[in-house]
Amino acid sequence: MAATTEMLDRARGARAGSARRSLIEDRVFYFMTLISAVLVVALLVGVIVSLIIGSWPALSTFGLSFVWTERWSPVKEIFGALAPIYGTIVTSLIAMIIGIPVSFGIAIFLTEICPQPLRRPIGVAIELLAGIPSIIYGLWGFFVLAPFLQSTVQPFLIGTLGNLPVIGVLFGGAPYGIGLFTAGIVLAIMVLPFITSITRDVFQTVPVLLRESAYGMGMTTWEVVRHIVIPYTRVGLVGGIMLGLGRALGETMAVTFVIGNSHNISASLIAPATTISSTIANEFTEATGDLYTSSLIALGLILFVITFAVLALAKLMLGRTEIA
Amino acid sequence: MSLSSSRKTTNTVALALAAAATFVGLFFLAAILVTLIVKGFSAISPRIFLENTPPPGSDGGLLNAIFGSVAMTAIAIIVATPIGILAGTYLTEYSRGSRLAEVAKFINDILLSAPSIIIGLFVYTILVVPFHHFSAWAGAAALGIIALPVINRTTQDMLALVPNELREAAAALGTPRWKTMTHVIYRAARSGILTGVLLAIARVTGETAPLLFTALNNQFWSSNLGAPMANLPVVIFQFALSPYDDWQKLAWGGALIITVTILALNIIARSLAGGSKSQ
Repeated sequence: MAATTEMLDRARGARAGSARRSLIEDRVFYFMTLISAVLVVALLVGVIVSLIIGSWPALSTFGLSFVWTERWSPVKEIFGALAPIYGTIVTSLIAMIIGIPVSFGIAIFLTEICPQPLRRPIGVAIELLAGIPSIIYGLWGFFVLAPFLQSTVQPFLIGTLGNLPVIGVLFGGAPYGIGLFTAGIVLAIMVLPFITSITRDVFQTVPVLLRESAYGMGMTTWEVVRHIVIPYTRVGLVGGIMLGLGRALGETMAVTFVIGNSHNISASLIAPATTISSTIANEFTEATGDLYTSSLIALGLILFVITFAVLALAKLMLGRTEIA
Repeated sequence: MSLSSSRKTTNTVALALAAAATFVGLFFLAAILVTLIVKGFSAISPRIFLENTPPPGSDGGLLNAIFGSVAMTAIAIIVATPIGILAGTYLTEYSRGSRLAEVAKFINDILLSAPSIIIGLFVYTILVVPFHHFSAWAGAAALGIIALPVINRTTQDMLALVPNELREAAAALGTPRWKTMTHVIYRAARSGILTGVLLAIARVTGETAPLLFTALNNQFWSSNLGAPMANLPVVIFQFALSPYDDWQKLAWGGALIITVTILALNIIARSLAGGSKSQ
């Protein structure tokens, strides 16, 4: 009898010991996960702080006028961000003007028209565009697209639209091949898969009941898309566009190849220009002097603020449904 | 009758435009791949994997650049994977609804799409400026910071797909929480998490901008992580914009290698995810 009690006690003790041990292990594991999650937040804070500290010399020298000064003269150490900001915005706008309708078209095709067996392969093919790294787009844009535009499309634009009053200035000058227009087209191709995949996903959230009632009332496929699907998914669509815009604004290598690196603001859309990211990519390692480096980091800070705002808006609109 | 026919016409035109848009998208994918294959294949030879980057005007390969890319990617992924998985675990398993978790998820999604050149600037200020020289460590750190949110996000998505019954069953058996995670939940989500890691490798492999001023580049073979190291993307960038034909040829060869690697990783990741993803 005594032996049995003793054994029971020992077993109880062992159980308590193992319970205590697993409690400690649980705590350790919990803190490891917590620290990792905090690290993600700390990274973003670190990025912001380092950008602000790095750009301080430039911002304290030039003040806020840094943002609207066009002059960029490394020799005289006068730096202004206007030309890169202008280039970033214009190239992204061109990308959106071309990219949004095409992405919507692909999404409509994939959800409404495409024969079932082809849906997956075509969808995957479009998504593969997103996998191609930006430097490859740059290479292709520089060696294939730019010479093609230079020899065919741009002379045509200059010869026709260039002669019109008012909008003529947008297509003035010589066909360089590289410039805002070419960068905009490359960016449009790059944002296609992002906008398309989100558009397709939100299109699929439309309840079948709604869709079928519309068809039952005799609406054509286009009318269903136009009057049922698009109004139902409006917020998600804008979110997808913002996400694509965020990508376009921050894209670096593809643009660096085809933008032409000119710090002049020209009215012509086909003229060489520069963007924030391509200025940093081109000049950072060659920047001599603290003020020059600091001005480039200040450009980075401006880019970060703009993309942060755009991406945050995109996230709010998409909720937590889509993978960014 | 006329109303109906005009509606039909609008419908036909709109759908034809949608089909045309799809054609345009596929056309550009094909155009890029065909250019890559045509220009890249002529540059691919055993030499490209056996010799280092040459000075202009002589023959060579991309061995040092391939090695540098593989080394920095490996370090980045080895460090980012456990952190990303643990962070994803906290955000799905330990913190449902907490304020910190909401903020962390939001921030992670922002980091996921943030311009990679900004990450380059960040790593430059914390790892290059203090040591006064560019290094492979800095390059690997930049790549790791880019990989981290990808792994974190996929882990969150995949853990959310694991049925709650598994957690309850493990708890009913008296399994400690951490053992439930490592022995039950991670195993259930294994292929999904692996997909995330593969996608992170694919994402990091082509990144150029953050390496420009962290790892920089190196003309010669170097396995010293404390020094600048050659890497495929930066070599492609530099060689493509050079005026030398043989450098441009090598750039196309490197571009083909990178793209094939990334597309292969994407396709493997997709086929892995096919089974575990609900959509």
